[in-house]
Amino acid sequence: MSAQAALRPAAPRADLLSWLTTTDHKRIGILYLTTSLFYFGVAGLLAVAIRTQLSRPANTFVDAHTYAQLFTLHGTAMIFLFVAPFALGLANFLLPLQIGAPDMAFPRLNATSYWLFLFGGLIVFSGAATNEGAAANGWTSYAPLSEIKISTGLGQDLWIVGVFLVSVATILTAINFVTTVFVYRAPGMTMWRIPIFTWEMVATSLLIFMAFPALAADLLLLFVDRHLGGHAFDPAGGGSPILYQHLFWFFGHPEVYVMILPYFGVISEIIPVFSRKPIFGYTGLVLAAFAIAGLSMGVWAHHMFTTGAVDDPFFSFMSFLIAVPTGVKFFNWIGTMWRGSISFATPMLFSLGFLLNFLLGGITGVMVASPPIDFQAHQSYFIVAHMHYVLGGGSLFAIFAALFFWWPKMFGRKLNEGLGKLCFWLLFIGFNVTFLPMHVMGLEGMPRRVFTYPDTGHLALLNAIATAGSYVMVAGVLVFVWNVVVSAFDREPVGPDPWHANSLEWATSSPPPEYNFDRLPPIRSERPVFDARHPELKPDATQ
Amino acid sequence: MTIGLRLFISSAVFSIVIAVAYWFVAHEPAGTFLLGFMAFALTFLAGYMIVAEREADLWGDDGAATGQDAAGEVVGTYSISSPLPLWSAAALASIGLGLVISPAIAAMGAIAALALGALFIVQSR
Repeated sequence: MSAQAALRPAAPRADLLSWLTTTDHKRIGILYLTTSLFYFGVAGLLAVAIRTQLSRPANTFVDAHTYAQLFTLHGTAMIFLFVAPFALGLANFLLPLQIGAPDMAFPRLNATSYWLFLFGGLIVFSGAATNEGAAANGWTSYAPLSEIKISTGLGQDLWIVGVFLVSVATILTAINFVTTVFVYRAPGMTMWRIPIFTWEMVATSLLIFMAFPALAADLLLLFVDRHLGGHAFDPAGGGSPILYQHLFWFFGHPEVYVMILPYFGVISEIIPVFSRKPIFGYTGLVLAAFAIAGLSMGVWAHHMFTTGAVDDPFFSFMSFLIAVPTGVKFFNWIGTMWRGSISFATPMLFSLGFLLNFLLGGITGVMVASPPIDFQAHQSYFIVAHMHYVLGGGSLFAIFAALFFWWPKMFGRKLNEGLGKLCFWLLFIGFNVTFLPMHVMGLEGMPRRVFTYPDTGHLALLNAIATAGSYVMVAGVLVFVWNVVVSAFDREPVGPDPWHANSLEWATSSPPPEYNFDRLPPIRSERPVFDARHPELKPDATQ
Repeated sequence: MTIGLRLFISSAVFSIVIAVAYWFVAHEPAGTFLLGFMAFALTFLAGYMIVAEREADLWGDDGAATGQDAAGEVVGTYSISSPLPLWSAAALASIGLGLVISPAIAAMGAIAALALGALFIVQSR
């Protein structure tokens, strides 16, 4: 009898109190994922409102101040409350399973991180209920716009407190991840045998250590400026708004990689499974992740080229360099698929969608790393298109890939494949119809963060197309929700390893029991479950 | 030397190099301070890892080990559930919220945090 078949499903404890007090990493992971998807839903609705306002010139669906709140909450929610926390939730669920650990190193700290994240998000959104409305200075909340002289409302304060709590939660989670991976690996699970997703989370955690304290410091200083008479960012008092930008982007650019490295890990797990091949260039993928993480700490001021206060050639050169390890990863993924026996299940479709969209976002990223082009494109819809291709076309597609791939492990049921493919095509078409025209809008001179625009050039047509695309994306998300509902009534259990996958989480039951494993298979490579399935190909223990 | 230690040492070396290079190229104090502080933090972590690794004897670093080899060993103490995380997060959120809305809420949060601290002390005895 195989090790997998010997395991029993977890006994469900479904009462509310058990969820409120849980310290089980799998439940905390599911709480993280559910909460971040809730915030995604809210942020998505805000995006629909934004696109509806921009569907035609001089529209009056919302006024300018409301529009500013909409794009601020949309950006804040997508970045601080969805894309990055979803990765933390996924890692919470997967990381101990992938390394054969019974739980996180610090289970109670882990639960505390989740609750801080939940409360932080709610506090950010609570600003919308105040008299002056929510924060309205964009997800960057640049000073002096966010100083008390200009932004007098409570919404800005609630934004500061909420985002601060989320940043603390993220740092605590990163401590947990690194400690767990370094200390709690199962016997035989050497560092060079841990799955790529776990490696990417180690790199992400290091980035969080280095970047998030700068954000926390920035927010504290802003709070001191607003309420305790400080002048750190107030030029009238001798402060420097440029300092705010330095601190913010010292966090902000690595944050882009906090939002993408985990998803590199996701598709590095999925592509080999659906190509029926081992990952091509395991070591190269790991080294590339750390090269990206390291270089990303030295490029923050490419967001500040147009301030005239930074050394453009230095940051331009460093930004170009990041394309090299990213290219290495692309070749690894293509090499994995090359001559593989590829099947186009929904997780694979979303992974391929990730590759196509992220490639486009990456290429425009290289373009705007060049200061002359950046001076032209800065603060225009070209940048909006670029960042959405990276974080929407990239991370979002990997998020859906992860949901479809690991859903059976989390809940013991597969999502419906037909609805999954429909969801993919609606999202893929809708996404590209929405964001591809934005490149042209930007080049035609449409600035970002404006609530209306003149009827010149092709702007009216392009905006109408983009808005139509956003509605198609909404349809895709609704199909996913319907898929979840339909699959909840599916009583057919899937077993431990429905995809014939490779890494250790597939060696235990679906869903896994408390403390994860009744019995571990021998770990002799980065594919222990494959090795257990194919003992005739068993690698040497000393390898 | 383990992979983890190599990782922290190489990260520390990289951050020192980049901080020095940035200062000589840009002569810009804010960024140099941030990079320098990052280098300091990573060097501290690498130093801690060197000390901690002397004490460590991890099954995960033994490529030939199996689950049977580690059988019976206490890996750690894991609580299945605890009210403390929700309590501590609610206390911290109340303090933060109270700072901008009402001192009374902050005071409630501070009291909850103090009670939590007392509970930790009692539990740790």
